[in-house]
Amino acid sequence: MPDMTSLAHPQQRAFNPYTENGGTILAIAGADFSVIAGDTRQSEGYSIQTRYAPKVFRLTDRAVLAVNGFAADGNMFVKKVKQRLEWYRHAHAKDMPLRAIARLIQTMLYARRFFPYYVYNILGGIEEDGTGAVYSFDPVGSYEREACRAAGAAQSLVQPFLDNQIYFKNQVPAPGTSHPAHLPLPTVLSIVIDSFTSATERHIEVGDGLEIYIVLAKGRTLHGTESIGGMQELTTTDDGERVFVVRRDLKKD
Amino acid sequence: MDHFPTNWGRPRNDAFDAYATHPIHQRPYNGPKDTFADGVQRTQSGWSITNPFVPSDLVYRQPIVTGSSVLAIKYKDGVMMAADNLASYGSLARFKDVQRLHQVGNYTVIGAGGDMSDFQYIQYILEELSIEEISAQDGHELGPVEIHEYMSQVMYARRSKMNPLWNSLLIAGFKDGKRFLSFVDLLGTTYTASTLATGYGAYIAQPLLRKAVEGKEDIITEEEARKILEDSMRVLFYRDARSLNKFQIATISSAGVSISDSMQLDTTWSFAEDIRGYGAQTQ
Amino acid sequence: MFLTRSEYDRGVNTFSPEGRLFQVEYAIEAIKLGSTTVGIRTPEGVVLAVEKRVQSPLLESSSIEKIMEIDTHLGCAMSGLTADARTMIDHARVTAQNHAFTYDEKIKVESVTQAVCDLALRFGESVHDEEAMMSRPFGVALLIAGVDELGPQLYHTDPSGTFMRYDAKAIGSGSEAAQSELQDKWHKQMTLLEAQKLTLRVLKQVMEEKLDHHNVQLAQACHTAERL
Repeated sequence: MPDMTSLAHPQQRAFNPYTENGGTILAIAGADFSVIAGDTRQSEGYSIQTRYAPKVFRLTDRAVLAVNGFAADGNMFVKKVKQRLEWYRHAHAKDMPLRAIARLIQTMLYARRFFPYYVYNILGGIEEDGTGAVYSFDPVGSYEREACRAAGAAQSLVQPFLDNQIYFKNQVPAPGTSHPAHLPLPTVLSIVIDSFTSATERHIEVGDGLEIYIVLAKGRTLHGTESIGGMQELTTTDDGERVFVVRRDLKKD
Repeated sequence: MDHFPTNWGRPRNDAFDAYATHPIHQRPYNGPKDTFADGVQRTQSGWSITNPFVPSDLVYRQPIVTGSSVLAIKYKDGVMMAADNLASYGSLARFKDVQRLHQVGNYTVIGAGGDMSDFQYIQYILEELSIEEISAQDGHELGPVEIHEYMSQVMYARRSKMNPLWNSLLIAGFKDGKRFLSFVDLLGTTYTASTLATGYGAYIAQPLLRKAVEGKEDIITEEEARKILEDSMRVLFYRDARSLNKFQIATISSAGVSISDSMQLDTTWSFAEDIRGYGAQTQ
Repeated sequence: MFLTRSEYDRGVNTFSPEGRLFQVEYAIEAIKLGSTTVGIRTPEGVVLAVEKRVQSPLLESSSIEKIMEIDTHLGCAMSGLTADARTMIDHARVTAQNHAFTYDEKIKVESVTQAVCDLALRFGESVHDEEAMMSRPFGVALLIAGVDELGPQLYHTDPSGTFMRYDAKAIGSGSEAAQSELQDKWHKQMTLLEAQKLTLRVLKQVMEEKLDHHNVQLAQACHTAERL
């Protein structure tokens, strides 16, 4: 006889320690840059809690983390990652490399396998070899390196768009030509902006504000992105990777 | 993907009770469920006192004596917060002279909705914290930022122990020339904004507050701010069955903290008799 | 040193009035009884060599193991109480594996050395009423060789938990003569082969027995992998 006790209706409902706070994040890797973005709306059910709650965080001069799902878990998780990065800096006298951060995030998530952080993480930045990289995670730590990834409330709207625009899925190159392996930064930025304005139109949990982080490999410049105003540099060291942020408005309805 | 192996269950044929061999209440439940919530319920370590068939860890905690909405807005010179004086016992208006705004240190006010005994416990731990900080005499003073961080850690830690403090808190303050206004709840969820409201206020008052305040935080005077909160409290009293027409307002600015005496809302009910089905109409 | 010996050489964590920890100094003394061990750093890699004292013709010389691998990029040679070194190398291996597991990268030579030295300092340490985990300092010195993102490196650790980086270092009974020989012969642009020859030449000079393949052990850590 199958064990039905776990399927029986609970006598009384226990406390639910989770909620969903909406919003969407996304990251795209270029040849020598990485773009990580998220909207700034935080909601619960049909209520907007705040129009500005950041979901994207600069970790080092070459790593940026976007966190989406249950906001309380997300904030705590980012706090703990930053703490581990500082300990590493003290123990090993260097900033943690991107792939090491990716592995660290896996071990931290998996450590809570049976009481997970209810968050989807996307890590973007520059690898030790100077290439742009994006790592995506599920709540318990499965991860892979990809060229692009969307997560959160509007993942189902944004990811197919990225598949089409970044991976050129369902597009046939003109005879004698081929699709580029990596897109230039200005193109990527307009894809990111379009992704969020579209998600804002069609998803009630997306909107209010947009934060776009750009990580540039050593020696690379922002050349070509002059049309995007309000670029603010967050880099802390000279002659290394550089981090920038752009803040834009999204519709507030 | 459901990440909890205990929820994966058995292959479908086993879960489907084709011959109805189980009593109805033990039949497989196939409706939607929150896997993240179910997956983390702790295994039993004892049994409930009131119901010996229910494990003690799963005893449903619920708020008993509750406060309703708390409202707060930023204005030109600081922050203002309002809450009524009611503590309900279910639908019974049980205590009608309860203060739900509490001063912490010299710069901060914390306002609470939800379980009032949990709020009293919060007042107690914040008092302990204040005493500790004052006796250190190290030049550090607890400001609203610190109290918000402390409360968010306490609330998150308690939710992580599956034993939450059943409150929604607003924290408002003014220190070093800066206004501060934030929210913390029983899940450890936090956020800041120029207008905040808890409980029914989040549905009823928040839209009114946003319309009145957003973009005008640096223009609104103290008098205007008081009027905005009073009007919102009045709407809440008309619409929220767990509210009272007696309330207090806390003002926090460079002048420090002041919590008003209880005020009475002037309300109009004369229109009620004109409403069919409400007053004493004969037909 | 022995002239000033007094009651202060009993407790492992009691300073003498002159500010010395005798037990630690004795432990460092113990290393000088150990077999000679030499390490040389070159731009291509690090060479380690040890003398094995084959006490008896009936002894299987291959069972004396004084150079061990910590990780694929880290090697370690010892002098002193080799049994103590096993505890330390065990710790170093666990640390290196943990680092690789958590960070998906090879641990730095300095980091693993630091981890070993942290352990070396834990003698006489106890919490509340519990028994101390270690009752005395380790009686062994290590030469930790490895290659990481900063290139080939050679570290020396002693029982006080102090570690230092060297271009070339000798420890053990013949260390004084060996060190001065290294100082004479070492140069910046040494090849691995030259370094190998130099370690053997230095060992030959300080060993009482005739040097052969039974009584020395050689290892090198270079860019590709560590090889014994």
